[in-house]
Amino acid sequence: MTPLEYLVSGLVLAGVFFGFVAVVGIIRLPDLYTRAHATSKSDTLGTVLSLGGVVLLFGADVAAVKTALLLLFMFITNPTAAHAITRAAYEQGIEPWTADDGGGD
Amino acid sequence: MSETSARILVPVGESSTFRNTAAYATREARRVASETGEEATVHFVYPVRWQLVDELERSASEEVADILDRARVWAAEDLDYDDDGEIDDDGVPVSIETAVVGEDRYLFSPSDFADVLLEYARDRDLGRIIVDPEYQPGGSAPMLQPLELELSRSDRIVEEAPVDRVVERGRFPSRSNLSKALVMFGASFSFYLLLAGVLDTFNLLTGAVSAGIVTTVFSRITFRETPKAGRLLRRTGRFILYVPYLLWEILKANIEVAYIILHPSLPIDPKIQRYRAAIWDDLSVTTLANSITLTPGTLTVDVDRDSLVIHSLTGSARDGLADGPLERAVRFIYYGRAAARIPSPRERGTVEDESVPPTPEEP
Repeated sequence: MTPLEYLVSGLVLAGVFFGFVAVVGIIRLPDLYTRAHATSKSDTLGTVLSLGGVVLLFGADVAAVKTALLLLFMFITNPTAAHAITRAAYEQGIEPWTADDGGGD
Repeated sequence: MSETSARILVPVGESSTFRNTAAYATREARRVASETGEEATVHFVYPVRWQLVDELERSASEEVADILDRARVWAAEDLDYDDDGEIDDDGVPVSIETAVVGEDRYLFSPSDFADVLLEYARDRDLGRIIVDPEYQPGGSAPMLQPLELELSRSDRIVEEAPVDRVVERGRFPSRSNLSKALVMFGASFSFYLLLAGVLDTFNLLTGAVSAGIVTTVFSRITFRETPKAGRLLRRTGRFILYVPYLLWEILKANIEVAYIILHPSLPIDPKIQRYRAAIWDDLSVTTLANSITLTPGTLTVDVDRDSLVIHSLTGSARDGLADGPLERAVRFIYYGRAAARIPSPRERGTVEDESVPPTPEEP
Protein backbone atom coordinates (compact mmCIF):
# COMPACT_ATOMS: atom_id res chain seq x y z
CA MET A 1 0.00 0.00 0.00
CA THR A 2 1.18 3.51 -0.80
CA PRO A 3 1.09 6.28 1.83
CA LEU A 4 -1.90 7.75 0.01
CA GLU A 5 -3.81 4.52 0.34
CA TYR A 6 -3.02 4.45 4.08
CA LEU A 7 -4.33 7.96 4.40
CA VAL A 8 -7.49 7.18 2.45
CA SER A 9 -8.12 4.02 4.48
CA GLY A 10 -7.54 5.98 7.67
CA LEU A 11 -10.07 8.62 6.66
CA VAL A 12 -12.68 6.11 5.58
CA LEU A 13 -12.20 4.06 8.76
CA ALA A 14 -12.55 7.19 10.89
CA GLY A 15 -15.68 8.02 8.88
CA VAL A 16 -17.12 4.60 9.57
CA PHE A 17 -16.25 4.97 13.25
CA PHE A 18 -18.14 8.24 13.58
CA GLY A 19 -21.04 6.82 11.60
CA PHE A 20 -21.09 3.99 14.11
CA VAL A 21 -21.02 6.46 17.00
CA ALA A 22 -24.00 8.24 15.48
CA VAL A 23 -25.97 5.00 15.33
CA VAL A 24 -25.09 4.06 18.91
CA GLY A 25 -26.03 7.57 19.95
CA ILE A 26 -29.44 7.36 18.33
CA ILE A 27 -30.12 4.13 20.19
CA ARG A 28 -28.70 5.06 23.58
CA LEU A 29 -29.58 8.72 24.04
CA PRO A 30 -32.83 9.37 25.90
CA ASP A 31 -34.83 11.88 23.85
CA LEU A 32 -35.27 13.64 20.57
CA TYR A 33 -33.07 16.60 21.41
CA THR A 34 -30.10 14.56 22.55
CA ARG A 35 -30.47 12.20 19.62
CA ALA A 36 -30.34 15.14 17.28
CA HIS A 37 -26.89 15.82 18.71
CA ALA A 38 -25.75 12.42 17.56
CA THR A 39 -27.20 12.77 14.08
CA SER A 40 -26.09 16.32 13.45
CA LYS A 41 -22.52 16.03 14.65
CA SER A 42 -21.21 12.50 14.44
CA ASP A 43 -23.11 11.85 11.26
CA THR A 44 -21.76 14.95 9.56
CA LEU A 45 -18.19 14.21 10.49
CA GLY A 46 -18.56 10.56 9.51
CA THR A 47 -19.80 11.43 6.05
CA VAL A 48 -17.31 14.23 5.65
CA LEU A 49 -14.34 12.04 6.57
CA SER A 50 -15.41 9.30 4.17
CA LEU A 51 -15.94 11.82 1.39
CA GLY A 52 -12.55 13.35 2.24
CA GLY A 53 -11.04 9.94 1.58
CA VAL A 54 -12.86 9.83 -1.74
CA VAL A 55 -11.51 13.26 -2.68
CA LEU A 56 -7.95 12.11 -2.02
CA LEU A 57 -8.48 8.96 -4.05
CA PHE A 58 -9.74 10.94 -7.04
CA GLY A 59 -6.65 13.16 -6.86
CA ALA A 60 -6.47 16.32 -8.95
CA ASP A 61 -9.63 15.80 -10.92
CA VAL A 62 -12.96 17.50 -11.52
CA ALA A 63 -14.61 14.66 -9.66
CA ALA A 64 -12.57 15.60 -6.59
CA VAL A 65 -13.81 19.17 -6.79
CA LYS A 66 -17.37 17.96 -7.10
CA THR A 67 -16.94 15.70 -4.09
CA ALA A 68 -15.52 18.63 -2.16
CA LEU A 69 -18.62 20.62 -3.06
CA LEU A 70 -20.74 17.75 -1.84
CA LEU A 71 -18.82 17.98 1.42
CA LEU A 72 -19.62 21.65 1.69
CA PHE A 73 -23.32 21.03 1.14
CA MET A 74 -23.31 18.34 3.83
CA PHE A 75 -21.93 20.93 6.22
CA ILE A 76 -24.74 23.29 5.40
CA THR A 77 -27.69 20.91 5.15
CA ASN A 78 -27.02 18.57 8.08
CA PRO A 79 -27.20 21.13 10.87
CA THR A 80 -30.13 22.78 9.13
CA ALA A 81 -32.07 19.51 9.12
CA ALA A 82 -31.27 18.86 12.79
CA HIS A 83 -32.37 22.39 13.57
CA ALA A 84 -35.65 21.93 11.69
CA ILE A 85 -36.45 18.72 13.53
CA THR A 86 -35.65 20.00 17.02
CA ARG A 87 -37.42 23.25 16.35
CA ALA A 88 -40.56 21.42 15.36
CA ALA A 89 -40.35 19.47 18.62
CA TYR A 90 -39.70 22.62 20.62
CA GLU A 91 -42.70 24.38 19.14
CA GLN A 92 -44.85 21.38 19.95
CA GLY A 93 -43.80 21.90 23.56
CA ILE A 94 -41.95 18.63 23.96
CA GLU A 95 -40.05 18.69 27.25
CA PRO A 96 -36.36 17.90 26.93
CA TRP A 97 -35.02 15.04 28.97
CA THR A 98 -32.95 16.19 31.95
CA ALA A 99 -30.57 14.42 34.29
CA ASP A 100 -33.28 14.41 36.99
CA ASP A 101 -35.63 12.43 34.79
CA GLY A 102 -33.83 9.17 34.64
CA GLY A 103 -30.35 8.92 36.13
CA GLY A 104 -28.88 6.96 33.25
CA ASP A 105 -30.92 4.61 31.17
CA MET B 1 -57.46 57.20 21.25
CA SER B 2 -59.45 59.56 19.07
CA GLU B 3 -60.69 58.94 15.57
CA THR B 4 -57.60 60.48 14.05
CA SER B 5 -54.45 62.17 15.19
CA ALA B 6 -52.03 64.85 14.05
CA ARG B 7 -49.14 62.99 15.63
CA ILE B 8 -47.97 60.67 12.91
CA LEU B 9 -45.31 57.99 12.61
CA VAL B 10 -44.01 56.94 9.20
CA PRO B 11 -41.77 53.88 8.93
CA VAL B 12 -39.02 54.61 6.44
CA GLY B 13 -37.22 52.40 3.97
CA GLU B 14 -35.91 52.55 0.43
CA SER B 15 -39.05 52.65 -1.71
CA SER B 16 -40.24 54.17 -4.96
CA THR B 17 -43.33 55.79 -3.51
CA PHE B 18 -41.83 57.12 -0.32
CA ARG B 19 -41.73 60.67 -1.66
CA ASN B 20 -45.51 60.68 -1.99
CA THR B 21 -46.05 58.99 1.33
CA ALA B 22 -43.98 61.64 3.07
CA ALA B 23 -46.04 64.34 1.35
CA TYR B 24 -49.29 62.65 2.32
CA ALA B 25 -48.21 62.27 5.94
CA THR B 26 -47.25 65.92 6.34
CA ARG B 27 -50.46 67.06 4.62
CA GLU B 28 -52.54 64.89 6.89
CA ALA B 29 -50.73 66.13 9.98
CA ARG B 30 -51.46 69.70 8.98
CA ARG B 31 -55.07 69.01 8.04
CA VAL B 32 -55.89 67.24 11.29
CA ALA B 33 -54.01 69.81 13.33
CA SER B 34 -55.93 72.70 11.77
CA GLU B 35 -59.20 70.91 12.51
CA THR B 36 -58.51 69.82 16.05
CA GLY B 37 -55.91 72.31 17.17
CA GLU B 38 -53.63 69.47 18.13
CA GLU B 39 -49.90 69.98 17.88
CA ALA B 40 -48.82 68.47 14.56
CA THR B 41 -45.75 66.30 14.24
CA VAL B 42 -44.44 63.72 11.81
CA HIS B 43 -41.78 61.24 12.86
CA PHE B 44 -39.86 59.40 10.16
CA VAL B 45 -38.51 56.23 11.72
CA TYR B 46 -36.05 53.85 10.14
CA PRO B 47 -35.94 50.34 11.68
CA VAL B 48 -32.52 48.88 10.94
CA ARG B 49 -31.89 45.19 10.60
CA TRP B 50 -28.26 45.19 11.44
CA GLN B 51 -25.84 46.62 13.90
CA LEU B 52 -23.64 49.33 12.54
CA VAL B 53 -20.43 48.14 14.10
CA ASP B 54 -17.93 47.68 11.35
CA GLU B 55 -15.83 50.78 11.26
CA LEU B 56 -14.75 49.94 7.72
CA GLU B 57 -18.33 49.88 6.59
CA ARG B 58 -19.74 53.21 7.43
CA SER B 59 -21.63 53.24 4.15
CA ALA B 60 -24.68 51.42 5.54
CA SER B 61 -25.23 53.95 8.29
CA GLU B 62 -24.59 56.75 5.81
CA GLU B 63 -27.32 55.38 3.57
CA VAL B 64 -29.75 55.40 6.46
CA ALA B 65 -28.80 58.96 7.39
CA ASP B 66 -29.18 59.90 3.75
CA ILE B 67 -32.70 58.53 3.44
CA LEU B 68 -33.78 60.20 6.67
CA ASP B 69 -32.27 63.49 5.49
CA ARG B 70 -34.20 63.23 2.28
CA ALA B 71 -37.40 62.55 4.18
CA ARG B 72 -36.81 65.67 6.25
CA VAL B 73 -36.10 67.83 3.23
CA TRP B 74 -39.12 66.57 1.31
CA ALA B 75 -41.41 67.07 4.24
CA ALA B 76 -40.12 70.60 4.70
CA GLU B 77 -40.70 71.31 1.02
CA ASP B 78 -44.22 69.97 1.14
CA LEU B 79 -45.01 72.15 4.09
CA ASP B 80 -44.15 75.24 2.10
CA TYR B 81 -46.64 74.48 -0.62
CA ASP B 82 -50.21 73.37 -0.47
CA ASP B 83 -51.93 71.19 -3.04
CA ASP B 84 -52.15 73.96 -5.65
CA GLY B 85 -48.43 74.46 -5.57
CA GLU B 86 -48.84 77.89 -4.06
CA ILE B 87 -46.77 79.09 -1.22
CA ASP B 88 -48.71 78.60 1.94
CA ASP B 89 -47.21 80.51 4.80
CA ASP B 90 -50.02 80.67 7.24
CA GLY B 91 -50.55 76.93 7.70
CA VAL B 92 -50.27 75.23 11.03
CA PRO B 93 -46.65 74.46 11.94
CA VAL B 94 -45.72 70.80 11.68
CA SER B 95 -42.60 69.57 13.40
CA ILE B 96 -40.57 66.92 11.61
CA GLU B 97 -38.42 64.40 13.45
CA THR B 98 -36.32 61.50 12.27
CA ALA B 99 -35.03 58.49 14.17
CA VAL B 100 -33.32 55.14 13.77
CA VAL B 101 -34.73 52.28 15.83
CA GLY B 102 -33.94 48.63 16.40
CA GLU B 103 -30.17 48.96 16.41
CA ASP B 104 -29.79 46.83 19.50
CA ARG B 105 -31.90 43.91 18.29
CA TYR B 106 -32.11 41.37 15.60
CA LEU B 107 -35.26 42.29 13.72
CA PHE B 108 -36.53 39.30 11.90
CA SER B 109 -40.28 38.81 11.75
CA PRO B 110 -43.00 41.37 11.02
CA SER B 111 -43.91 41.36 14.70
CA ASP B 112 -40.34 42.36 15.60
CA PHE B 113 -40.65 45.38 13.35
CA ALA B 114 -44.10 46.18 14.66
CA ASP B 115 -42.77 45.97 18.23
CA VAL B 116 -39.99 48.50 17.78
CA LEU B 117 -42.24 50.86 15.83
CA LEU B 118 -45.05 50.68 18.38
CA GLU B 119 -42.62 51.11 21.23
CA TYR B 120 -41.40 54.29 19.58
CA ALA B 121 -44.97 55.45 18.94
CA ARG B 122 -45.91 54.86 22.58
CA ASP B 123 -42.84 56.68 23.89
CA ARG B 124 -43.53 59.73 21.74
CA ASP B 125 -47.32 59.48 22.03
CA LEU B 126 -47.87 59.21 18.29
CA GLY B 127 -51.44 58.16 17.59
CA ARG B 128 -51.35 57.39 13.90
CA ILE B 129 -49.11 55.28 11.71
CA ILE B 130 -48.97 55.85 7.97
CA VAL B 131 -47.32 53.07 6.02
CA ASP B 132 -45.85 53.42 2.56
CA PRO B 133 -47.49 50.90 0.20
CA GLU B 134 -44.10 49.95 -1.24
CA TYR B 135 -42.37 49.72 2.13
CA GLN B 136 -40.53 46.41 2.45
CA PRO B 137 -38.74 46.22 5.79
CA GLY B 138 -37.82 42.58 5.22
CA GLY B 139 -35.80 43.24 2.10
CA SER B 140 -36.01 39.90 0.39
CA ALA B 141 -39.15 38.75 2.17
CA PRO B 142 -42.48 40.43 1.47
CA MET B 143 -43.77 41.43 4.86
CA LEU B 144 -45.76 44.59 4.45
CA GLN B 145 -49.17 43.01 4.96
CA PRO B 146 -48.21 41.03 8.07
CA LEU B 147 -46.52 44.15 9.41
CA GLU B 148 -49.69 46.20 8.95
CA LEU B 149 -51.65 43.44 10.63
CA GLU B 150 -49.31 43.43 13.62
CA LEU B 151 -49.41 47.21 13.83
CA SER B 152 -53.19 47.32 13.72
CA ARG B 153 -53.38 45.07 16.79
CA SER B 154 -52.32 48.07 18.83
CA ASP B 155 -54.49 51.02 19.80
CA ARG B 156 -52.87 53.19 17.14
CA ILE B 157 -54.55 54.12 13.88
CA VAL B 158 -52.83 52.37 11.01
CA GLU B 159 -53.33 53.14 7.35
CA GLU B 160 -51.61 52.75 4.05
CA ALA B 161 -50.81 55.98 2.28
CA PRO B 162 -53.13 56.36 -0.76
CA VAL B 163 -50.39 57.03 -3.27
CA ASP B 164 -50.17 55.92 -6.87
CA ARG B 165 -47.56 53.36 -7.46
CA VAL B 166 -45.22 54.60 -10.11
CA VAL B 167 -44.83 51.19 -11.68
CA GLU B 168 -47.11 48.32 -10.85
CA ARG B 169 -44.62 45.53 -10.60
CA GLY B 170 -44.69 42.25 -8.82
CA ARG B 171 -43.93 42.49 -5.14
CA PHE B 172 -40.30 41.92 -5.63
CA PRO B 173 -38.46 43.19 -2.66
CA SER B 174 -35.51 44.95 -4.14
CA ARG B 175 -34.71 46.48 -7.44
CA SER B 176 -32.26 44.72 -9.65
CA ASN B 177 -29.09 46.53 -10.48
CA LEU B 178 -25.87 45.93 -12.32
CA SER B 179 -23.64 44.80 -9.49
CA LYS B 180 -26.25 42.42 -8.11
CA ALA B 181 -26.67 40.96 -11.58
CA LEU B 182 -22.90 40.73 -12.12
CA VAL B 183 -22.20 38.93 -8.86
CA MET B 184 -25.11 36.59 -9.45
CA PHE B 185 -24.10 35.88 -13.03
CA GLY B 186 -20.47 35.36 -12.11
CA ALA B 187 -21.32 32.97 -9.31
CA SER B 188 -23.76 30.85 -11.28
CA PHE B 189 -21.63 30.83 -14.42
CA SER B 190 -18.51 29.69 -12.60
CA PHE B 191 -20.49 27.07 -10.70
CA TYR B 192 -21.85 25.75 -13.97
CA LEU B 193 -18.39 25.57 -15.52
CA LEU B 194 -17.01 23.92 -12.41
CA LEU B 195 -19.59 21.18 -12.66
CA ALA B 196 -19.12 20.86 -16.40
CA GLY B 197 -15.39 20.46 -15.91
CA VAL B 198 -14.51 21.15 -19.54
CA LEU B 199 -14.17 24.62 -20.99
CA ASP B 200 -15.40 24.06 -24.54
CA THR B 201 -17.70 26.21 -26.63
CA PHE B 202 -20.77 24.14 -25.84
CA ASN B 203 -20.36 24.45 -22.08
CA LEU B 204 -19.48 28.13 -22.25
CA LEU B 205 -22.58 28.82 -24.32
CA THR B 206 -25.08 26.74 -22.35
CA GLY B 207 -23.49 28.01 -19.13
CA ALA B 208 -23.92 31.62 -20.20
CA VAL B 209 -27.56 30.99 -21.13
CA SER B 210 -28.33 29.19 -17.86
CA ALA B 211 -26.54 31.79 -15.76
CA GLY B 212 -28.41 34.47 -17.67
CA ILE B 213 -31.76 32.90 -16.86
CA VAL B 214 -30.82 32.41 -13.22
CA THR B 215 -29.67 36.01 -13.01
CA THR B 216 -32.84 37.44 -14.54
CA VAL B 217 -35.06 35.43 -12.26
CA PHE B 218 -33.19 35.55 -9.00
CA SER B 219 -30.87 38.54 -8.80
CA ARG B 220 -33.63 40.64 -7.30
CA ILE B 221 -34.31 38.30 -4.44
CA THR B 222 -30.84 36.99 -3.68
CA PHE B 223 -29.35 40.15 -2.31
CA ARG B 224 -30.94 42.64 -0.07
CA GLU B 225 -28.18 45.16 -0.27
CA THR B 226 -26.13 45.91 -3.31
CA PRO B 227 -23.00 43.78 -3.00
CA LYS B 228 -19.82 45.80 -2.86
CA ALA B 229 -16.66 44.22 -4.18
CA GLY B 230 -14.50 45.29 -1.23
CA ARG B 231 -16.84 44.00 1.41
CA LEU B 232 -17.50 40.79 -0.48
CA LEU B 233 -13.78 40.10 -0.79
CA ARG B 234 -13.08 40.94 2.84
CA ARG B 235 -15.87 38.66 4.01
CA THR B 236 -14.82 35.84 1.74
CA GLY B 237 -11.24 36.18 2.95
CA ARG B 238 -12.26 36.11 6.59
CA PHE B 239 -14.58 33.21 5.90
CA ILE B 240 -11.71 31.20 4.47
CA LEU B 241 -9.81 31.84 7.71
CA TYR B 242 -12.84 30.65 9.65
CA VAL B 243 -13.17 27.29 7.89
CA PRO B 244 -10.06 25.57 9.35
CA TYR B 245 -10.97 26.90 12.80
CA LEU B 246 -14.49 25.52 12.46
CA LEU B 247 -13.20 22.16 11.19
CA TRP B 248 -10.91 21.88 14.18
CA GLU B 249 -13.77 22.72 16.54
CA ILE B 250 -15.98 20.16 14.81
CA LEU B 251 -13.33 17.47 15.22
CA LYS B 252 -12.94 18.24 18.93
CA ALA B 253 -16.72 18.28 19.33
CA ASN B 254 -17.07 14.90 17.77
CA ILE B 255 -14.43 13.22 19.85
CA GLU B 256 -16.15 14.61 22.93
CA VAL B 257 -19.60 13.48 21.81
CA ALA B 258 -18.24 10.07 20.76
CA TYR B 259 -16.72 9.66 24.22
CA ILE B 260 -20.00 10.53 25.89
CA ILE B 261 -22.06 8.26 23.67
CA LEU B 262 -19.76 5.27 24.03
CA HIS B 263 -19.20 5.77 27.77
CA PRO B 264 -21.02 3.01 29.68
CA SER B 265 -22.79 5.37 32.08
CA LEU B 266 -23.75 7.94 29.41
CA PRO B 267 -22.68 11.08 31.37
CA ILE B 268 -25.07 13.66 29.94
CA ASP B 269 -26.79 16.62 31.53
CA PRO B 270 -28.92 18.20 28.84
CA LYS B 271 -30.44 21.62 29.22
CA ILE B 272 -32.07 24.27 27.07
CA GLN B 273 -30.80 27.81 27.30
CA ARG B 274 -31.72 31.07 25.73
CA TYR B 275 -28.86 33.12 24.59
CA ARG B 276 -28.79 36.65 23.21
CA ALA B 277 -26.27 36.72 20.45
CA ALA B 278 -24.52 39.94 19.57
CA ILE B 279 -24.99 39.53 15.85
CA TRP B 280 -27.53 41.21 13.73
CA ASP B 281 -28.37 39.98 10.30
CA ASP B 282 -29.74 36.94 8.55
CA LEU B 283 -26.55 35.60 7.08
CA SER B 284 -24.47 35.87 10.22
CA VAL B 285 -27.23 34.49 12.44
CA THR B 286 -27.50 31.54 10.07
CA THR B 287 -23.75 30.99 10.12
CA LEU B 288 -23.63 31.13 13.90
CA ALA B 289 -26.64 28.87 14.35
CA ASN B 290 -25.21 26.26 12.03
CA SER B 291 -21.76 26.50 13.57
CA ILE B 292 -23.24 26.03 17.03
CA THR B 293 -25.06 22.94 15.84
CA LEU B 294 -21.86 21.50 14.43
CA THR B 295 -19.71 22.08 17.52
CA PRO B 296 -19.31 20.73 21.07
CA GLY B 297 -22.54 19.27 22.36
CA THR B 298 -24.67 22.25 21.41
CA LEU B 299 -27.63 22.39 19.09
CA THR B 300 -29.58 25.40 17.88
CA VAL B 301 -33.24 24.68 18.49
CA ASP B 302 -34.83 27.96 17.61
CA VAL B 303 -34.06 31.52 16.66
CA ASP B 304 -36.42 34.28 17.59
CA ARG B 305 -36.12 37.97 17.99
CA ASP B 306 -32.59 38.56 19.08
CA SER B 307 -31.87 35.28 20.76
CA LEU B 308 -30.95 31.71 19.99
CA VAL B 309 -32.47 28.81 21.87
CA ILE B 310 -29.80 26.23 22.38
CA HIS B 311 -29.94 22.69 23.62
CA SER B 312 -26.68 21.56 25.17
CA LEU B 313 -25.66 18.03 25.98
CA THR B 314 -23.20 18.63 28.82
CA GLY B 315 -22.15 21.31 31.26
CA SER B 316 -18.78 21.78 29.62
CA ALA B 317 -20.49 22.40 26.27
CA ARG B 318 -22.52 25.15 27.92
CA ASP B 319 -19.41 26.76 29.34
CA GLY B 320 -17.76 26.64 25.94
CA LEU B 321 -20.70 28.41 24.41
CA ALA B 322 -20.86 31.09 27.08
CA ASP B 323 -17.20 31.90 26.49
CA GLY B 324 -18.29 32.85 23.01
CA PRO B 325 -15.39 31.93 20.75
CA LEU B 326 -17.72 30.96 17.91
CA GLU B 327 -19.78 34.07 18.19
CA ARG B 328 -16.62 36.13 18.13
CA ALA B 329 -15.38 34.31 15.05
CA VAL B 330 -18.66 34.87 13.22
CA ARG B 331 -18.59 38.54 14.09
CA PHE B 332 -15.06 38.68 12.77
CA ILE B 333 -16.21 37.34 9.40
CA TYR B 334 -19.11 39.68 8.90
CA TYR B 335 -18.17 42.81 10.73
CA GLY B 336 -14.38 42.81 11.02
CA ARG B 337 -11.86 42.83 13.79
CA ALA B 338 -13.38 45.65 15.84
CA ALA B 339 -16.61 43.71 16.28
CA ALA B 340 -14.71 40.63 17.39
CA ARG B 341 -13.68 42.49 20.54
CA ILE B 342 -17.23 42.72 21.90
CA PRO B 343 -17.31 40.86 25.25
CA SER B 344 -18.36 37.21 25.44
CA PRO B 345 -21.96 36.22 26.21
CA ARG B 346 -20.97 35.34 29.77
CA GLU B 347 -19.45 38.77 30.36
CA ARG B 348 -22.50 40.43 28.85
CA GLY B 349 -24.74 38.26 31.02
CA THR B 350 -26.98 37.27 28.15
CA VAL B 351 -27.28 33.56 28.80
CA GLU B 352 -30.33 32.40 30.67
CA ASP B 353 -31.93 29.06 31.34
CA GLU B 354 -34.98 28.21 29.33
CA SER B 355 -36.17 25.33 31.45
CA VAL B 356 -39.72 24.86 30.26
CA PRO B 357 -40.46 25.07 26.57
CA PRO B 358 -43.54 27.08 25.67
CA THR B 359 -46.75 25.18 25.24
CA PRO B 360 -48.08 25.24 21.71
CA GLU B 361 -50.36 28.13 20.94
CA GLU B 362 -54.01 27.35 20.50
CA PRO B 363 -55.04 27.98 16.93
